[in-house]
Amino acid sequence: MAAVREGEFAALQSLLKAPSRDAVRQLCQECFSSPLAGLGLLAQRACPGLAAEPEEAEQLVSALHSLTRHVVYRGLTSAEDILLLFPENFHQNLKNLLTKIILENISVWRNEAQASQISLPRLVDMDWRVDIKTSSDSISRMAVPTCLLQLKIKEDVALCGNSPVVSALTVELSKETLDTMLEGLGRIRDQLSAVANK
Amino acid sequence: ALRMFSNIISLQCEQIIQHLNRKIPGVNTAELCQRIQTLGVEINAGDLAKITNTVSFLFSTAARNNLSTEELITTLGNAVSTLPKHAVQVIRHVWNEQGKSISVTEDAGNMATVGQFVDIKWKLGVAMSSDTCRSLKYPYVTVTLKVADSSGQITDKSFEMTIPQFKNFFRQFKEMAAVLETV
Repeated sequence: MAAVREGEFAALQSLLKAPSRDAVRQLCQECFSSPLAGLGLLAQRACPGLAAEPEEAEQLVSALHSLTRHVVYRGLTSAEDILLLFPENFHQNLKNLLTKIILENISVWRNEAQASQISLPRLVDMDWRVDIKTSSDSISRMAVPTCLLQLKIKEDVALCGNSPVVSALTVELSKETLDTMLEGLGRIRDQLSAVANK
Repeated sequence: ALRMFSNIISLQCEQIIQHLNRKIPGVNTAELCQRIQTLGVEINAGDLAKITNTVSFLFSTAARNNLSTEELITTLGNAVSTLPKHAVQVIRHVWNEQGKSISVTEDAGNMATVGQFVDIKWKLGVAMSSDTCRSLKYPYVTVTLKVADSSGQITDKSFEMTIPQFKNFFRQFKEMAAVLETV
């Protein structure tokens, strides 16, 4: 995430026309969360309230997106570090307000960034049930316990954008295969402990 | 190349029989498909899966009804008209050699239309950096589940979990095992 350019800071001055601090807060949040492609729409909403021209609105929204994303990218957490980003002659009150808003949102934004980074499909839910098979067309009487597991898996957020695809995987486990699973998971747990103790 | 192709089809049939005899959890369609493709034969995994399904069903029906080789080949011809001749010959040959070994014993087996869990492969990783966060240090677990469907096709399903999710995942399985003990 490249540093915020001088021109972009100039565009932020449009925020001085905002009706309230909350309006600024909301716009910051929307600009952070929006992907680049969605900024156009945000700009349309910002105009005519915050900007006289559509171009001005676009520059404002783009600058806010840049600034908020840059702070999250760099992992800045203190007010001093954020204040240092602004040019010397930047409007003092606006600078303080923006810094305050950013600090309030920084950990939520960081989590959002982590959640939306590229990844394999992610597990979102898991349900299970233990059944006993009592009979079938080939065996009249039996008592075989079996596990049914349903995993809900969400495809990569970056690929699906606003309409995430969630698929369900239903799997049956016998006592033996359940042991295989437990063994594998146990090893992961051991590795996690080993890494955590380093 | 023809001989190697026949070998692969032969291997596929043998795996089908082993699967029917519950000696292996399933047929490794993806691997067989890759081997056929390196011979320059155009085939996709979906088509190969259909062939596995058909032959598997055919073999098990034939075993249960004690079909002769000729009856088997006739039924195969009615089911799949597009099989190349040497493939048919391979199937006939494997049936002749091993058809009788298919055990029609009754066991709990897989009666569900639900996939059977076969194996789990895993990886523990730490994401160091991304385009959104320069310094991440975000640990995660990647898991690949191998699942065999009722016809024996083994497919992989991969997904990621956060560490808290993994701990919950593990705990749920321990609960399942505990319930199985009491049942």
